[in-house]
Amino acid sequence: MTGLLAQQESGQVDMARLRADRRRRLFDAMAAHGLDALVLGRAADVAFASGARQLWTAGARPFGPGCVVVASTGHVHLLSTWDEGVPPEIGHDDLFGLKWNPANLLGSLSAIPGIEQARRVGTDSYSPGFEQFLAAVAPDAEIVDAGPALGEARSAKSEDEVALIERAVAVAEAALSAMDDAVEPGATERDLMRAYLAAISRLGCMQPPTEGVACATPRSGPVTLRRLTSERQLGPGQLVVLNPSALYAGYEGGLGRTVAVGEVSPAAARLAARAREVLDAAIDRCRAGARGADLRSDDAAVIAYGLGLGVEAPVIGADVGGDAEQRSGMVLSVQAWVAEEGVGGVLQRDAVHVVDGTPRVLSRYRSELV
Amino acid sequence: MARVSLGSAWGKGNIVHTVEGRPIPELPDLARMHRERSDRIQEQLHAQGLAGLVLLGTSAVSYATGAAQPGADSARAGLFRPVAVVVTGEPAPHLFTPYPEGAPGDLPPDHVHPPAFPDLDEGAAALATAVSELIPRGRIGIDELPHPLRAALAHRDVVSAGSVMVPVKLRKTADELACIRIAQRCNELAMCDVMPLLRPGVRQSTLTATFLDRLHELGDVSNGIDPIWQPMPASVAAGPWTTHGDIAFPTGSTGEVLRSGDVIWCDTGIHYEGYASDFGRTWLVGAEPTARQRAQYERWQDVTDAVLALCKPGVTALDLDRGAIAANGGTKPWIEHFYLSHAVGTDSAEMPLIGTDLGETFDEQQVLAPGMILVLEPVIWEDGYGGYRAEDIYAVTDDG
Repeated sequence: MTGLLAQQESGQVDMARLRADRRRRLFDAMAAHGLDALVLGRAADVAFASGARQLWTAGARPFGPGCVVVASTGHVHLLSTWDEGVPPEIGHDDLFGLKWNPANLLGSLSAIPGIEQARRVGTDSYSPGFEQFLAAVAPDAEIVDAGPALGEARSAKSEDEVALIERAVAVAEAALSAMDDAVEPGATERDLMRAYLAAISRLGCMQPPTEGVACATPRSGPVTLRRLTSERQLGPGQLVVLNPSALYAGYEGGLGRTVAVGEVSPAAARLAARAREVLDAAIDRCRAGARGADLRSDDAAVIAYGLGLGVEAPVIGADVGGDAEQRSGMVLSVQAWVAEEGVGGVLQRDAVHVVDGTPRVLSRYRSELV
Repeated sequence: MARVSLGSAWGKGNIVHTVEGRPIPELPDLARMHRERSDRIQEQLHAQGLAGLVLLGTSAVSYATGAAQPGADSARAGLFRPVAVVVTGEPAPHLFTPYPEGAPGDLPPDHVHPPAFPDLDEGAAALATAVSELIPRGRIGIDELPHPLRAALAHRDVVSAGSVMVPVKLRKTADELACIRIAQRCNELAMCDVMPLLRPGVRQSTLTATFLDRLHELGDVSNGIDPIWQPMPASVAAGPWTTHGDIAFPTGSTGEVLRSGDVIWCDTGIHYEGYASDFGRTWLVGAEPTARQRAQYERWQDVTDAVLALCKPGVTALDLDRGAIAANGGTKPWIEHFYLSHAVGTDSAEMPLIGTDLGETFDEQQVLAPGMILVLEPVIWEDGYGGYRAEDIYAVTDDG
């Protein structure tokens, strides 16, 4: 079962075609938003623009230039000290090496053809002082939010991208199966996380989108969905949320199911049916033109977020994303969570491809309580 | 013996190592650690004339609040992020988090708030409102301004949080050192289970699977970086092209099959209570080291010993650079894009950074002091014959 599945190269998807398509969308969006250059810092944006396999690290880091895209030359310049994992369309001249000294980084960026003439430079984030830094590279440039342009380029997926997300979903399904096998009285949440991590890495997808994949929901007192995995032991009849995700060639897919340890009580079955019903209704409303608020329900907590190179906008929850518009081609992770004191909680989550018409559910794993 | 190798078993011998007079405990007193970190932040806030901090980065929030969050890739950690707001004069930080179960027990419940989404327009507006209530006036230090938050805080005087966060993290307390030691111990134990798997035909992904599985069996830790199992070429020319003509490392793992005689540079790092470990070694696949490889290791040991012999409070980073170069026969024994040494803390590479392109003048101004961490990672390279790389974590203590 081991393989090279997590590489940028894939036997089933033409990665060169996929990258060319992404690049075209990116430059189109830059033109539409009047951007002369992009300075990107976030790993997912850098991956989208460059197609390079970057070293995966956990956590969010403050903004710094990792990739520079210049409209006038059509070049994508990448922060990489070597060409390993860098696709062939990015030449050696387009690479700039790792520097610790801002003055040296400035030197690298100043050498990028076309950057000095840029008037509008879009960035995917910002840090205090970056304006002064950029002024030394592009003296006439105004810094603007690249978010709308990036969102436009990234949100509507090509068929190739959806195929990769579907691959990621398949890996998450395999992990779900391994976690399900590990559910037994006395096992801990951490045991389930271990089963998850071993399953995804054996399939070549070694980077977990999140380690928060298992939650034993309490049978007494308030019931909340916890993401931090603990040493809590599973007891008979307890409802356990299994919520794995995986990254395949950088693309994220995932799903969530809830299982019972041993017997399923009638109350648990009712709760599960309610979660499924709410989720199915929300999925049915994942249609081009719909708003985030359309997914909400009075019967359960519905949360949705975009899937692509990791999670992305929109984020739709009780307090955010009500106005977020769904576009054809988006892939959303949609989940419903219901809880009842004395019974526990049930989470159901699916990956949904928004198309013109009936939404396509990418995850396929039995949805009844085990 | 004037230093503690955090990598070795603790409780060795009768030597008591102290930092600012306090012995390094076996287990950290977390409440004390949080309190002392908060005191340091407050001290710097006053010194820098700031009215408060808004922190978004994973390591900064972890330092300021002690809040835990699940290990996650950068996209998720960015969108669903805990945020810290620190008010000058108010010791307890405010935490806005999607993971309330990760709020430390010593944080007052009214300081734990629902999640902020500073990367989204409506979330940024809500956070800006909260900030204006908590820090109604004055200059604010901030580590990142996603555009929506930048717009929402446009009327405020904001500066980089670095002037506060870099100095407070520079010298670790005894409890912080205990955390790093535990992180390193878990990391090493997990690597002990990986090492026997190193035989011809094993895939990098199998090594990673075993590492992650064992790691999470050991305790409440999270993985910090994709584990590196990089087969090294014999020469720079035989490896990937590089911008500087030096070695390419670390290039990341795939499902690559390892072959007999491969020289593997491994590099892994995990987090415990937010604190990073760092494990680096050179391993051989299915072969005994050659005489030349043994000599490379011995040279590495000579360089390490030479640097350690210099380590004590008052010595400059430049002294260490020079000592390392002298012990390597006049050649710089580290990779061009890295360093002779870095520290770990809530970041996997933080100050002091020694031997970087920040230059000799910079290094001359870095003076070793008790509580500083040195992750020494000399690299011995003989072009045509490969090289040896390993790293160990040391703490500068009161007496050395």
